[in-house]
This record gives sequence, structure tokens and C-alpha cells, in this order.
Amino acid sequence: MKNFPRVLLIAAAAALVAAPFLTGNPFYQRIAALTALAAISASAWNLIGGYGGQVSFGHSVYFGIGAYASLLAYTKLGVPPIAGAPLGVLASFALSVIVGLPSFRLRGHYFSMATIAIAALAEVLVTNWGFAGGAIGLMGPASPRSLADLLFRSALPYYALFVAVLASLLGFTYLMQRGRMGFYLRALGSGERAAESLGVPIRRYKLYALLVSGAFTSLAGSLYAVMVGFIDPGSGFGILVSVNMVVMSALGGAGTLFGPLVGAIILVPLEETTNALLGGGSSGAAYVVYGAIIMLIARFSPGGLAQWWPLLSGKGRRGAA
Amino acid sequence: MLLEAKGIIKTFGSFRAVDEADLTLQEHELIGLIGPNGAGKSTFFNCLAGDALPDGGSIRFRDREITRMAPHDRARLGLARTFQVPIVFDGMTVRENVMVGAFLRRPHRHAAAAKADEVLAFTGLAEQADQPVTTLGTPGRKRLEIARALASEPTVLLLDEALAGLTSAEVETAIALVRRIHESGITLIVVEHIMEVIHRLTQRVIVFQQGRVLAEGSPADVTADPRVIEAYLGRRAGRHRP
Amino acid sequence: MILLQLGVDGLLLGAVYALFSSGLTLIWGMMNVVNFAHGDFVMVAMYVAFFAFTLLGVGPIVFVPLAAITLFGLGVLVYVALVRHVMRGPMLAQIISTFGLALFLRYAALWLFSANFVSLPDTLVGGVYDLGGLRLSASHLLAGATALVLTLGMHLLLTRTDLGSRMLAVSEDRTAAALVGIRPDPMQALAWGIGAASTGVAGALIALFFYVSPEVGNSFTLLAFVTVCLGGFGSVPGALLAGLAIGVIQSISAYFLGPATKDVAVYALFVLLLWVRPQGLLGRA
Repeated sequence: MKNFPRVLLIAAAAALVAAPFLTGNPFYQRIAALTALAAISASAWNLIGGYGGQVSFGHSVYFGIGAYASLLAYTKLGVPPIAGAPLGVLASFALSVIVGLPSFRLRGHYFSMATIAIAALAEVLVTNWGFAGGAIGLMGPASPRSLADLLFRSALPYYALFVAVLASLLGFTYLMQRGRMGFYLRALGSGERAAESLGVPIRRYKLYALLVSGAFTSLAGSLYAVMVGFIDPGSGFGILVSVNMVVMSALGGAGTLFGPLVGAIILVPLEETTNALLGGGSSGAAYVVYGAIIMLIARFSPGGLAQWWPLLSGKGRRGAA
Repeated sequence: MLLEAKGIIKTFGSFRAVDEADLTLQEHELIGLIGPNGAGKSTFFNCLAGDALPDGGSIRFRDREITRMAPHDRARLGLARTFQVPIVFDGMTVRENVMVGAFLRRPHRHAAAAKADEVLAFTGLAEQADQPVTTLGTPGRKRLEIARALASEPTVLLLDEALAGLTSAEVETAIALVRRIHESGITLIVVEHIMEVIHRLTQRVIVFQQGRVLAEGSPADVTADPRVIEAYLGRRAGRHRP
Repeated sequence: MILLQLGVDGLLLGAVYALFSSGLTLIWGMMNVVNFAHGDFVMVAMYVAFFAFTLLGVGPIVFVPLAAITLFGLGVLVYVALVRHVMRGPMLAQIISTFGLALFLRYAALWLFSANFVSLPDTLVGGVYDLGGLRLSASHLLAGATALVLTLGMHLLLTRTDLGSRMLAVSEDRTAAALVGIRPDPMQALAWGIGAASTGVAGALIALFFYVSPEVGNSFTLLAFVTVCLGGFGSVPGALLAGLAIGVIQSISAYFLGPATKDVAVYALFVLLLWVRPQGLLGRA
């Protein structure tokens, strides 16, 4: 009887995952794919920003690196865009070590300020980098040369791919959360001095979290570029790319297993509808709503929706540990 | 010699908070560190724990030079501490807080949980194990800090005013706990304000004044020392309970 | 000669940076809260100036004080409704709260006013003075001089007045201040009001010679961060010196390396500063 809600929940989750395959409506299928993609980057952000408490506004740099790696691989080497994804991941590792590591000396606000500046710097540099298309950006293949180009008319294959990546990320997060790394990250996120005094090597664990977080964010960028077939400095490195990750995690519950996914499930369709109702995507109406949501969460429910629904944290009921 | 600090100097700007202070600690000792506010004992304590890097002098622990070693490496070597103002990990339960300490020597979740439960029982927090840590009051938080440090299985435990701000009944419980920790084989340094506690608890006392060691010896000897009476007890006499 | 010209241009611009940064540093120093929406406060003030001119036909004598008053109100409102409640909460809430505010202001402006760049007519404060080859535009001169005076005024307010010492008392130790009868809450609300009002003046002055757009705030936020970081967190004189220095750096790097790099130089400086000296260049260790 105690397991009843969990069984129900698994059934509901399975239905939700399968739903896009059952609907014939391409609009919904596309939203589903975009939701899964947004959930990947938000869940990746959540590793360092939620569990580790290091609020990064600069994750757009990882996303941009992944996206540009894909389309640079295609435009410069002629290989399928997805082949650039591993290169993006490698570049993300380098970025974590070279830029992330020194930033970890900074705590709280200072870290967040540094990440904003780094993202702004990256956006300006890419805009002025002629090799990568400058302000115009890069295009993917116009028509598929082979299956490896992953160019499909329907959103469903993308959806399946994104869900698979998301599942592996959430699987990793689940295991991490239960083990030493999860405990250490949560500890250093809420009290660095105390964590350090208990033998937690702060900078090393932050780096571990950032390596995984950056790699998955970069992968999300690559997948985005593969699906959309176009990238420019704003859609790759712009501050709004980071905003999406932060707001989804904060809404669902930062530092919880399913929080970012729930945030994405609420916000991506909401964004599509507000933009449809209040004018095109450039009107900014969605981001007025996002800004308001962020303020309301900060003010009234810093734990996000998970504060009200412990199941989101992925722990279910607190019982014997 | 388990722990030895020699000629420790720590300055803030032109102010010498600790001025060539020494300390030696033998295995299984329980010593006290006292002194009036601003005497430098907390800064000295932080130098031992690694939260402050001394500007001069050296610290050795278990025959290793640790003067500039990071706090987490000291913890690994077996030097644990608590904080004057408890720092608990919000968003975790009491047990999870203690597990953070236990993970140091037990990388596996179940082993860490078992160690945490053992320590929670030892410190009398077993009933609160599944509560969010934020439900604990000050005495509970102080005990939790001790539990967390114990879960890291230290050789030496540094307690920073673990009894300050407690009612007299709570102080009794805490004294009993410190005694049991000592009996379990752990060496302790206790920083305290309350002379009575030091008197009842410790075998040896180091008195700080103006960043220097003013006197050192058994509690009885030290409290009889006229310099100590003037520097410390004179001001505290009113608070000294019979 | 060109260096002198660039130097003077930079100083005049830098004085305005100093003014809006001293608003940020005041709030920061007092309650250790970073306003991620600070540049968007500048943006709001710029729109106040723009609409005061286009709709009411008034000049800087009216719209600069109007921007100050509007922003004072906005600052107090933000403190009372938002910051007061999150400042002792979890770090995540503290950081994202004003970040959410920044998004809200920026995209509300975009939604209401569209992304188009608008600007006040050049002739509003027109004229260029020629001092033996050194050319000074009247609008820059007015903005720079006003900002310089107000920044010094803010410093005097904090150091020489009873109100200032009360505010400093709260920033040193909230509890102790409360014990001697200074209620921290009104003082902090006032700090937000004054900090935002000075930002309002700066924004209205910048509007005299700079285009207005909803997204202009982002770079001002970063500029204010760099200035405060360079000048030492919480120090108004530090912000003044740093603001002037950054104005000069921008003006010189824009001339020699092209306009695109003026931000690169400043952002890179900021990141390096944070890495090397997190407490700020002139700040206390």
C-alpha cells in the first residue's frame, strides 16, 4: 500500500514519456522535443547550481560551445553535425578547468558575477570571430546527406534522442545524489567552512560537478544545433540561454532530482503559448513572465515546487535510509 | 607528541591577534583554552584547524608539518573541529548532516549511514535523526556539530565554545558528552569561557591574554595564579558559580 | 593631444559610471546584497528621461530630478517587497531574486517600448567647446560635472551627516545598531532609495548622449560590477576613482582597438580582478 503512489507515479511518467508518440500533432511533438532538450540543460545546470549551490549565469558558454562545435564540424570538416558533439564536450572540459577552477575561489554573489561577465565576454568574442560566422552565425546541412546528419522532418526522432540523453543524465544524478558526491555537493553548497572542516575537498568536488554539468550542457547545445540547424551568438551564448536553465531549476526545485524537468515541462509549453498569444518570440513577453516567476520563487518558495511536493526530490517518502 | 604548535603569529593589519603562542598536546589529553574576549584564543584555534593561516611559527600533527595544510586535509589526518556559531547544512536531515562527516572514512552510503546512526545514538540525537536539521535549536545544533565531527572519526577534536549559550541543565548534558568522547579515546582541546566547566572537565589549561600564553598548568594551579586572576578571573569573578 | 582628448572624454564618461556605481556599492556595502538589476535601473531612468522629453517636452532641469524621484521609489519598493524578505534566506534566493527583477524590467521594457533604439535629440544640450584643440561636448560636460558633484555629495552624506553615520552603523553591525535605537529596516530601505536615486540621475544624464534601448542595462550592470570590484566593495571614493579609470580605459581601448573591444577589455579586467583579488583592488583584505 505504501508503494501505491510510486506505482501510480511511474505509470503517469511512462504515459507522459509516450504521449508525444501517440499524438499525431507535429506542434505538440515539437514542444515535447524542446521540453526534453531544455530539461537536459536545466538538469545539467542543476548539478553545480542546485546541488552545489554555485549559481552560474554563465552556462550559456557551455551550450554555445556545444552548438558551435557541431556546426563548425559540419561547415569546416564536412562531417555530420553530431560528430562535433564529442569535440564540444572536450572543449567544455577544458573550459571547466581553465575558467571554472579559478572562479571557484569566489563565493556566493561573487561567483555569480564572474559567470555573468565570462558569458558576456564569450558572446562578444564569438560575435567578432569571423571563422565561426561572426554575428551571422552558422548553418547546418540544408538537406540530409545521410542518416548521420540526423535531419528529420518529424520532431519524434529528436524527442526519442533527447529523452535518452535526459534519462542517462537523471540516472547519473540519482546515483550521485545518493552517494558521497551528492552529500558533499549539498554540504559545500550550504556551508563551505563546515564542509571543509569535515574533510570535503571543496574545489575538487565543485570541479567534478562542473565537469559533468558543463559536458551535458555542451551536449544539449550540440543537440540543439543538430535539430535546429542554425546557431548565432545570441542563441548559443546569450544570457537568456542561461536564464532558461536557472528559471527551470528554480521553479521545479534547485538541487532536486526532478525539479529542472518539472520546470521545463511547465515553462517550455508556457513560453510557446505566451509567445503565440502575445506576439512573436522577440516580444520578450515570456521573459517578463520568467522574471516574475524567479522573483516569486525567491520571495515565497526558495525550494521551488519541490518544497511542496517531496516526491520531486526523488527520495519519495523519508523512511529508513 | 600528538599536536605541537610553536611560535604561532597571526596578524590582522598591524594588530597581532596571536603573538608567538605555543601549545603541546599529548595523546588522550583533554585540555582547555581560556582567556578573556579578544585574547586571541579563537584565532589561535583557527590556526590549529586550518581556517586561518599563521604568519609565523609551525604546527605539527602526528609527526607531520601541517602549518599551511588545508582544513580538509587536516580532517583526513584526524583533526576535527566544531564552530562557535554552528554551521548546519540546511536542506538536509540530521542524519544526512552527520553522514557528510561519516563519508570521510566510509565512502559507501550504507556504511556512512550506519556510522551516522552510531554517532547519533552516542550523542543522544537518535530521535531527531529524520528531522530536517532546521528544526534543531541552538543546543541541538551544537550537539549535531559534535556528532558530525565525531562521524569523521578524528584523533583530535577541537571544540570551539561548544557549551556557550546553553542553560545550566544543557551544560550538564554537554559536559557528560565531552567526558564520554574523551573516554572513547579521543584527544580534545576545549575553548571555553566558563571557568567552572574548564575546572571540572580538563586536566590542563592554557590561559591566553593579548595573543600570548599567560599561564599553563592544572586548573587549580592556573586559577591560583595572581596574573590569571587579574587578567581573567578578576573580570569574570561575578560569573563564577560556586 | 589625442591621448589628452581621449583621457578627458573618458573621465567625463567615467564620472557618470562612478555615480551609478556608487549607488550599487552603497547597497552592497550596507547589506552585502548584490543588485543584479542595477544596470536595468539605469535603463529605466533613461526611459524616464526620454519620455519626459518626448511626452512632456521638459528638459534636463526637470527630467533629471524626475528620474531621481522615480528611481528612489523603485528602489524602496524593491527593498520592501523583495530584498528584505530574501536577504537572510538561502543564497540561491538572494542571487536569483534581483536577477529575476532584471529580466522583468528588461523584457517589460522590450514588450512595452519595442527593441528599437531611441535617443534624445543632440541639440537638447548642444554645443561643443573648443579649448585650444581640446573638444568638449556640452552634454558630456554637464553629465560628467553633475555626476562628479553628486558622487562627492553621496560620500559626504555618508561620512559627514547624522543620517550617514546611522546608515554606516547598520552596515557595520545590524544587531548593535538596533540596540542603540537605530532601526535597520528603514535605514536599509533608505539606502536602496538613495542608491537607486543616484542611479536614476546617472541614467538620465547618460540619456543625453547615449541611445536608449531595453537591453542597454546589461552592459551597465557589468560596468557597475567592475567599478565596484575595482574600487573596493562598499567604498564610494573607491567607486569614484574606479569609475574614472574605467571611463578612460574604455575610451582609449575603443579608439585604438575598435569599439567592439571596449567591453571586452572591461569584462576581461573584471574577471581577472575577481580571480586575483576577490576583495577588490582598493578593498580591505
